[in-house]
Amino acid sequence: MEADNSRTEEYLESIYKLQEEQHPVSTSRLAEHLKLSAPSVSEMVKKLEVKGLVFHSEKGVCLTDDGKYLAKKVIRRHRLSERLLTDVLGFKWDEVHDEACRLEHAISPEMEDRIAESLGNPKTCPHGHPIPDKDGKLVKEKVKPLSELKAREKGIIVNVFEEDPKMLKYLASLGLMPDVCVKVEEVAPFGGPLIVCVAGSRYALGREVASKIKVK
Amino acid sequence: MLSCHGALKEMKGNTDFIFVLAGNPNVGKSSIFNRLTGMGVVTANYPGKTVELNMATTIFKDLRIGIIDLPGSYALGAVSEDQWVARRAVLDTNPDAAIMILDATNLARNLYMTLQFIDLGISIVAALNLIDEAEKRNIITDTEKLSELLEIPVVPTIATTGQGLDELIQKAVEVAGKKYEIKYNVRYGTDIETNIKRLEDLLSRYDFGISPRALALLLLEEDHEFVELVEKHAEGSFLIGEVKKISMDIQKKHGEKTPIRIARERHGLAGTIASQVQGDVTPAASDKIWAYTTSPLTGIPLLIGVLAVIFGFLFYGGNLLSTLFSDMWAEYMSPIIDGAIFAVFGSGHIGKTLIWGFDAGILAALAVGIPYVLTFYFLLAFLEDTGYLNSVAFLTDRLMHKFGLHGRAIIPLVAGAGCNVPAIIGTRVLTTMRERTIASTLITLIPCSARTAVILGAVSLFVGWKPAVAIYIIILGLVFFVGIGLNKVMPGSSSGLVMEMFPFRAPIISNILKKTWFRFKDFVFVAFPIVVIGSLVLGALYETGYLWKLAEPLAPVVEDWLGLPPVAGLTLIFAVLRKELALQLLVTFAVVQYGGGASNLLLFMSPTQLFVYALVNTIYIPCVATIAVLGRELGWRRAIGIMAFTIALAIIIGGLALRIIQYFHLL
Repeated sequence: MEADNSRTEEYLESIYKLQEEQHPVSTSRLAEHLKLSAPSVSEMVKKLEVKGLVFHSEKGVCLTDDGKYLAKKVIRRHRLSERLLTDVLGFKWDEVHDEACRLEHAISPEMEDRIAESLGNPKTCPHGHPIPDKDGKLVKEKVKPLSELKAREKGIIVNVFEEDPKMLKYLASLGLMPDVCVKVEEVAPFGGPLIVCVAGSRYALGREVASKIKVK
Repeated sequence: MLSCHGALKEMKGNTDFIFVLAGNPNVGKSSIFNRLTGMGVVTANYPGKTVELNMATTIFKDLRIGIIDLPGSYALGAVSEDQWVARRAVLDTNPDAAIMILDATNLARNLYMTLQFIDLGISIVAALNLIDEAEKRNIITDTEKLSELLEIPVVPTIATTGQGLDELIQKAVEVAGKKYEIKYNVRYGTDIETNIKRLEDLLSRYDFGISPRALALLLLEEDHEFVELVEKHAEGSFLIGEVKKISMDIQKKHGEKTPIRIARERHGLAGTIASQVQGDVTPAASDKIWAYTTSPLTGIPLLIGVLAVIFGFLFYGGNLLSTLFSDMWAEYMSPIIDGAIFAVFGSGHIGKTLIWGFDAGILAALAVGIPYVLTFYFLLAFLEDTGYLNSVAFLTDRLMHKFGLHGRAIIPLVAGAGCNVPAIIGTRVLTTMRERTIASTLITLIPCSARTAVILGAVSLFVGWKPAVAIYIIILGLVFFVGIGLNKVMPGSSSGLVMEMFPFRAPIISNILKKTWFRFKDFVFVAFPIVVIGSLVLGALYETGYLWKLAEPLAPVVEDWLGLPPVAGLTLIFAVLRKELALQLLVTFAVVQYGGGASNLLLFMSPTQLFVYALVNTIYIPCVATIAVLGRELGWRRAIGIMAFTIALAIIIGGLALRIIQYFHLL
């Protein structure tokens, strides 16, 4: 039962993370992420569907509200564990992920509260990702597409939702990637492109491209 | 056009060393190339690719050195055509040294690609160019320290004056002759390096023709070309499995995809190095004056002005030159050529046919080539070199997007109203074959000055100005719908616009002239023979009388569907040589049929017929020079497709116009 539980949590967490880049999540992608075989993943997905935690359609898997809630609770425990490991036990931030993966399933709700309290209710994990609160709510930063910025407004790229890996890499080679500051210099009329300034270079970005770049 | 494989191989056999010139766009790379090489530049391309490679041989201290000018690109991946061609050429030539041209005013961004070269294990020498510009902006670079950090020779240069170029080649020769040892100790973050090392150790047991570290990086960057190469190997699936495992470790640890992580590390390292040698300078990217060209309020009127100037230049200037040229030809060259041909071959079928080809044919090519093509090339090179072309693209991107094109296409489209030939070659500013095919098809529909002459001479003069305007409106409508239709029908989609907006650079006239000449030379060698051969064939058919027999099957289309006199159909065929010929021949036939003085076409054709005639003449296949250029630029399959399409379109629209006019009694 214990092992089964942590497996469920592992799945929910993975689906939750993958949903951010692809929605719904294909079983093959999920299998790749969990490093498991596709048949065993689809079997487990069926079990999760019976429990009412996921929907499963031809396109792939997505979480139900219950599933999302549980996933966020797991993510909370994972990120709190990471904080505990770095802040109290002195691990380096790039060493804690695997340890936290094991810890997250062993933490009881009461322990979770105490850890949060003793760490001063941290808002983010050591990698800078937000920690959901006790009720599983995630305080989302106000994110909007780059295309909605006006001339002379600045933003920091949060994410680039580009499906074409070539375009994604091209943008990255120009320095258009998460955590980079961009400034909009000019916006062409009638929904035309934007001129953005990144690290001293100016680029014209088409509307379609700019709408896939989310900034805060 | 030469194929890259052949041209590169030939150069390798004839030279002591081969250097490639690499760098970001607009850093003065072609200025350096022009300074290093003479006029003997060879242009080649890879099959199916539109981005070209320029190469030339030069002599330096008794050494024969082949120099290959790679297309300017921001990185060495395989994500865009310019990058693909640059990298393919580097891997194919295996150069003795790569000369990396860096923009001193924007060092960090330029170092990104430098690091990629180092990662590929290629011997490089860096030219720190534009140091004069940098000094104006108070950016001083410690070149010695830069050389120390990258462990490669760095030479400060000013391409516009040639300063530092001798030393640059000297260093490149030293590197190529292994007199200067390059250590490649540039390293990224510890964790990434550990993972690269893991993969490198694994790959070092195999030989993929590239250093294990370079391959490890390319695989982790998910470079599909190299992933495919490894997959084909007997142990490919095992290796790719290992790559995925290592990639997953990196992804888990850093919370982002491995290719992005590597790009970030590379940017980070490039930025660190730049700030170590230049201090914390923020490059002044925005130009106050240049901002006026992109701001809608000032930019759009300016754009309309520039387009009007280009159009006016081609239409009036081109026409003037063309007439002048034709008159001079008729005055001086024609009698000599005709005399010579008649003297040798007599005035029979053969002699007359040869006159078609070598008198009328050469004139047709010259009358288009020099006045229109040469002037347009000059204008285009000027717009490119100043960076204004990118401002144009920025402003018109939205409109062009509807046709599956992007903003840069507006220049060739407008130029098409002067002459289709340079316009089609001008589509080289577009990067994909899909964009170029759509743009070229639309250009062939745009009435060039010759077709305008027919519209004006036949319709405006004899029928009225309103029907003449109607023809232009019909054509514009066709361009619009054909554009939208092609965008829907053709496979693929337009790539999103991502384009650097360069700071304004004063154009260097010698560079522009050289660029104009290279392009024009290309036109002369390709278009001339085809125009001459086409003229010979047409002449032979006419002189032997076969043309009348060939015209017979056309009767149902010309007479029944389009309602034109059979002779008019024939003039449409002749107009393939030069579009304004249609009108000239029509007048000639009118004179033949009704005797001298019958130059009033209304005696010969009704207003409706003249309208349909001008409309069909405008839409169907452009002239033989355009066909030659289409074939050369897009390949003959596409060229024939476009010809068939425009013929069908002309017949359909012409017939419909006839019926609509008759039904509503419009004329």
